[in-house]
Amino acid sequence: MSAPSTVLFDEPGPRARRRMRIATVLGALATVALAVLAVRQFAANGQLDAARWQPYATWPMWRYLLNGLGSTALAAVVSAALAMAFGLVLGLGRLSPRRWARGPAVGYVEVVRTVPALLLVYVVLFALPRYGLDLPLFWKLVVPLSVSHAASFAEIFRAGILSVERGQSEAGLAVGLTPGRTMRLIVLPQAARRVLPSIVSQSVGLLKDTSLGFVVSYTELLYSAKVLANYNGLLIQTYIVVALVYLVVNMSLSKLARTLEARQRAVLRRRIARG
Amino acid sequence: MKKMLAVLAVSVLGLTACGETSNTAVPAVPGESKTAAADVLANAPVAEAAAILPGSTMEKIKKRGELLVGGSLDAPLLSQQNPATGQVEGFDADLGKALAKYILGEPKVKIVNSASETREALLSNGTVDVVFQTYTITEERARQVAFAGPYYTSGLTIAVKKGTSGITKPEDLNGKKVLAGANTPAIPAIKKLAPQAEIITFGSDPECVQALKQDRGVAYVQDETLLIADAKKDPSIEIVTKPFTVDPYGIGLKHGDDQMKKFVNDWLGKIQGNGVWQGIWKNSIGTVVTGDAPQPPKIGSVPGS
Amino acid sequence: MSVILDHLPELWQGLVVTLQLTAASFLGAAVLGVVVTALRVSPVRVLRAIGTAYVETFQNLPLLVLLVLAVFGLPEIGIQADLLVTAIVVIAVYEAAYIGEALRSGVNAVSKGQGEAARAIGLTFTQSLRHVILPQALRTVVQPLGNIFIALTMNTALAGAVGVIDLTAAANRVNLVEAQPIPIFVGAGLAYALLAACAGFVTGRLEKRLVVLR
Repeated sequence: MSAPSTVLFDEPGPRARRRMRIATVLGALATVALAVLAVRQFAANGQLDAARWQPYATWPMWRYLLNGLGSTALAAVVSAALAMAFGLVLGLGRLSPRRWARGPAVGYVEVVRTVPALLLVYVVLFALPRYGLDLPLFWKLVVPLSVSHAASFAEIFRAGILSVERGQSEAGLAVGLTPGRTMRLIVLPQAARRVLPSIVSQSVGLLKDTSLGFVVSYTELLYSAKVLANYNGLLIQTYIVVALVYLVVNMSLSKLARTLEARQRAVLRRRIARG
Repeated sequence: MKKMLAVLAVSVLGLTACGETSNTAVPAVPGESKTAAADVLANAPVAEAAAILPGSTMEKIKKRGELLVGGSLDAPLLSQQNPATGQVEGFDADLGKALAKYILGEPKVKIVNSASETREALLSNGTVDVVFQTYTITEERARQVAFAGPYYTSGLTIAVKKGTSGITKPEDLNGKKVLAGANTPAIPAIKKLAPQAEIITFGSDPECVQALKQDRGVAYVQDETLLIADAKKDPSIEIVTKPFTVDPYGIGLKHGDDQMKKFVNDWLGKIQGNGVWQGIWKNSIGTVVTGDAPQPPKIGSVPGS
Repeated sequence: MSVILDHLPELWQGLVVTLQLTAASFLGAAVLGVVVTALRVSPVRVLRAIGTAYVETFQNLPLLVLLVLAVFGLPEIGIQADLLVTAIVVIAVYEAAYIGEALRSGVNAVSKGQGEAARAIGLTFTQSLRHVILPQALRTVVQPLGNIFIALTMNTALAGAVGVIDLTAAANRVNLVEAQPIPIFVGAGLAYALLAACAGFVTGRLEKRLVVLR
């Protein structure tokens, strides 16, 4: 990550380096000047008044937000589990040699991928209750998210399974395993390890999508922010705080994805070295 | 895999409680207005045992030991969660507690946060016992739910940024950009009275206020009580009309449950007679509206109630 | 079905707004995405850091939070823009992070010899990026870009939360009046699916043509 790709340039020489340094300083000055201007305008509108930020220096506000974060995590974990399980079935279905399994799987993935998650939320929120299916709030958020992300997970699993060398499954079949057991015992474990980074980053996407709880009034982080802003009237401050919380949580998850990816690569390299 | 599914199933069972806020009206943080709310609730009546008819909804609630109320968490003055205490406060919320005390002897309620579109379904499938959520009584709705009350009357009005001229009645909104809360009754009302108005919606009241201050629209149409509170908090906006709609709020009950409806109407009459209703008003809406509590609307006076 | 016909003008207007949002923000995101890629592969460490920070920030914030912050926060720092314009810019800025990542992986997929050859014949950083690397990188990223386009189209639905009346918001409003969610939302869903199908078709064609060129 830190090592730059060197496809495009040679190591810069002393003159280039000096020019870079000058440009960096000038650029930094310009950026700082703009930032100062923005902050001053922000302050002039009273948005930086201590009184407007003070609530977020108190524990009860944070306790409330962290509660919301807990609900966000819960919704994300349950949706991710459901979406992954369903996605795995879909991914396998799409690779199946049997048409009755392949057709629906392909259809599902292609259709769901092209419908906004928000629209699915509206369907669960407004349409299903009219047909007697009124889910609890939690599921009004989790069901559409699972339905929508299952399609993405299906694609991830499919790519992972396809990336396992054919020799592996051939070897499995050759030693007399059934196709199902070959898939379960030989191909899937390897595929799972390879797609782990994609799964984590897809889960970050899912976690971000739980902010649709805002629409269904399930008290996840963003809806908690709405309740807070209603309570204290500090709209902008509340959203800045919430944005920071999202940023910290998701960045940690993304970091995890990268660590996994690096470890994955190291394992592969070692295996190749061993022959 | 099996184990995982089992774990999932177990955790899922525990989840149905999410989005609901347990809310027992115990005396809360000292020095806050909650003590006043507790004082009022202390005077709230309890039904005599004979009123809890065997086999009725009231008995079911009593056996459960908790009243399930469909309500909001984000409606200031009416039903707003206080993040510091987790308590839901306001006119609707406190009436819910008073009803709980009438049935159970103690104000034990659980607020089920209901998006306003699904209230009929929540009542009909028994997820909640009653709905206290600015639930305007209409004959159309009365075909799907039963209404006790009305317990309060409110109406829509118009707020503008101070110094705005030319808006004195709803018809003046024609051809102008008008702000309204998403999914609120303001939208159909504006469409009817000022069909040429361009309606811009935001998800919550503070967003609409901010948008008004930032000139995203010239006027903001919202329930009078909320606008009075907004104008009080923020001196840069002002209210320019009297309410131009009449919205009688009812207590939503399961359709056809006449026993419960009579029971709740009796209770409403009692708390209006002994000053509890007025006390609850004073603690909530009365904190921004000056003067004494208004005359409560006559029970059963609205078609559909 | 008649609900959709009765409210065709409103729904059509919503669809037009969705198309505007999609087209304008994808264009913006593409331009910004190229800039972000250039930053991330540039020889200057500070620029690389800025590029990385950009991607990290915008890939890790929910679009809804960004939209609300921009709509209500920007006027407070003196930038007052139309709601639609604000939404377009925010979606463009947000998706640029994804396009930047897709392009970067494309750049990394271009073999090292290409860059070395470009430099050997005396092309500068910008020139080699423009004439040698990016054209090849684009080929490998047509499919990912198509996916980003579809995701962007879906994401424009969130603009409805900040006062823009796009297709989803229009459908929601019609439903508030008519209370017939099934035909209304299915109709809106079909419109989105159609948009995505067009995108899929175009990327498929594009991919085939670029492959032949190679």
